[in-house]
Amino acid sequence: MDRSPATASPRLSTFFANPRWGVLSRSLAAIFGGYALASMTTVFCALALPGARGQAVLTGMLLAILVAACAALWAFATRSALRAWVGILAPTLLMAGISRLLGAWA
Amino acid sequence: MMLLVLGLSFTAFTALSLAMEKHQQELHGKAAASPVRRTQWRVLGWLLLTVAFALCVVDHGWAMGPVLWLGALTLGGIVLAFALYPYRPKWIAPLAVALPVIGLVVALV
Amino acid sequence: MKNGFRQSMAWLHTWTGLLVGWLLLLIFMAGTASYYREEISRWMRPELPRSTVSTDQAAQRAADYLLANASQAESWFVTLPQPRNPAMQMFWRLPAELADPAKGRRGAFGDATLDPNTGTELKARETRGGDFFYRLHFDLHYIPVLWARYLVGFCAMFMLVAIITGVITHKKIFKDFFTFRKDKGLRSWLDFHNVSAVMALPYHAMITYTGIVTLMIMYLPWGVNVAYGTDQDAFYSEAFGGLPEVTAPAEGKAAPLPLRQLLDSARTHWHGTEVAGFSVANPGAANAVIDIRQRDGKRLSIDTPALRYDMVTGALLQETPPSGGATATRGVLYGLHLARFADWGVRALFFLSGLTGCLMVASGVVLWAVKERPKHAKSGRTGFGLRLVDALNIGAVAGLPIAFAAYFWGNRLLPLGLAERSNAEANVFFYAWGASLLAAFIWPKRMMWAWQLYIGAAAFALIPLVNALTTHAHLGVTLLNGDWALAGFDLSMIAFGAMLALCGWRMQRWTPPLTAAEKKKRAAAAAATKAPADAVEAEASA
Repeated sequence: MDRSPATASPRLSTFFANPRWGVLSRSLAAIFGGYALASMTTVFCALALPGARGQAVLTGMLLAILVAACAALWAFATRSALRAWVGILAPTLLMAGISRLLGAWA
Repeated sequence: MMLLVLGLSFTAFTALSLAMEKHQQELHGKAAASPVRRTQWRVLGWLLLTVAFALCVVDHGWAMGPVLWLGALTLGGIVLAFALYPYRPKWIAPLAVALPVIGLVVALV
Repeated sequence: MKNGFRQSMAWLHTWTGLLVGWLLLLIFMAGTASYYREEISRWMRPELPRSTVSTDQAAQRAADYLLANASQAESWFVTLPQPRNPAMQMFWRLPAELADPAKGRRGAFGDATLDPNTGTELKARETRGGDFFYRLHFDLHYIPVLWARYLVGFCAMFMLVAIITGVITHKKIFKDFFTFRKDKGLRSWLDFHNVSAVMALPYHAMITYTGIVTLMIMYLPWGVNVAYGTDQDAFYSEAFGGLPEVTAPAEGKAAPLPLRQLLDSARTHWHGTEVAGFSVANPGAANAVIDIRQRDGKRLSIDTPALRYDMVTGALLQETPPSGGATATRGVLYGLHLARFADWGVRALFFLSGLTGCLMVASGVVLWAVKERPKHAKSGRTGFGLRLVDALNIGAVAGLPIAFAAYFWGNRLLPLGLAERSNAEANVFFYAWGASLLAAFIWPKRMMWAWQLYIGAAAFALIPLVNALTTHAHLGVTLLNGDWALAGFDLSMIAFGAMLALCGWRMQRWTPPLTAAEKKKRAAAAAATKAPADAVEAEASA
């Protein structure tokens, strides 16, 4: 196997071209991004759902579990690791923004 | 009542499996049933599933009934797929007739 | 991923299943055993006789005991004997000035387990019984409970994803609904995994999701924080169905009405449904109230209704208020997970489904190894990953049953007066499991599978014998008495032993499948011997 590098950067780029990085990135998106999305779902539901506070909080939790599972599927079904992160973080940030407007973390 | 539900679930699944060409071939080879006949099996199977479901709901209510029904289906399906089809296919037809009858007798007594 | 949707879901299914499969096997096995935790506890305390007294007599004995030993308490909490659990448990909360500071938070509580036949403390061997398995499946062991629950929750999420991706990736889910092709190697393992998953699919999805729901407040507290700030108590009182906490302190003294009368009022209100237990706030005071809880079995929800009566006048003060939608939903989901409502028939079906889940997980991890092995055949030696998986597979699939059986052996053989006996019994479980894991890592080969399965088979099948040699609650007695819980336990041990022996035998007798070349050779040889034999037959019949 030819190990002689032409310059330093092609070696670095081949290192990161390894598909294992994509898998790692998607896994992190699924696990940590998914948890963040789930957490934000509970916050959002607690504030945005109509009806009694206690019920809204519980509903948020019940939904958040399913949201986390969906996030994991999305992270691995979508075309690229970048799309995985965007698809999970964008709704998270959106819900965070709306929650802030509704009074969270005031 | 439970025995009747178990029996009906088993027979229902037997009927539904007989509606599939692959299991017809398995049991009867060249004498496999025609598509028309298979549709009849399918109708019977769904009918028996519905009857079993109705019995569960009538006897245990809308909450517990479906739980019992699903459990009965699991048992029937496992016995059929893991025990009978691979090891004792000749027992399938007799059991499919006998189990609901026994269940009915026990339920009425 | 570059691959199609189905393929990426198949990949995800493999890894979410494999990485946590062995821990999931422990959780599933312990959880499935928990369906019969009361029966297991009864078997593990053979000294405890069945309850011969009525619920009212038991309640009176509880009240007498509490009056004698906890008269100063702020509140009493009693669980009356049930058909499946003959012991009577109670605990009480002491006022601050009587609390034992040495015990920290727990110094404010007292507890006792009584034999309802005598009204005195239970004289049976110290054991956690079936509760060990119940706790094991979400608190694990030897690690802080909080870490264990996060770990179990993490595994449960992986399992949930595995279930969903499994369904997505199983293209022929309807076509292969009844399909199990035996004796075909990889094909058979895949069929077995598929059928065990699909036949109990509603159960698997339910038990996984509801399992996470039971601890969801711990996993996702953020909504509570944001909606309630520092007033967490308000969340609990608003979100959970139930009678409000009694905050009024004791005032004056008055003799309460007879307990039987109060319990009968509840029974009448519920049109005959029996009582599960009761709590008393400010016992002995003029404003003492009693909360009477309904017995399980009438509804799916974990939240069973309760009635609050004034203990002195007998007036009905409050009923459990109707629950909000989310509360009721959560109650039903929680209730489905614990299955306290289940009668013996439904319980047996739940147990069967749980066992099917164990088989699904076990066949999954084995399937991975079976699929992976041919890739290592060319190089002649097994790679690190496969060797690791082989060892873990043996240690979990064959080793865990050994651990379960060892726990029961420990209960019968450990000295009755041993200090910390419950902990010793738990240690026996883990010593046995540790030994099988160690053996599996040393020699992760087919014969190790067979040996461990045989050891498990013997360990289970001999339990009724050990029982007979050490107690008077063996099959000879229990079958004659019609004590189906105890007899059923012993018989189940024999059944599990037989199943494990069958598995061990198949492992031992397995031969590798013939290659295509081998098959051709054998077919040719058979044709060659058949031709002269046919000729002989033709001559003989001519």
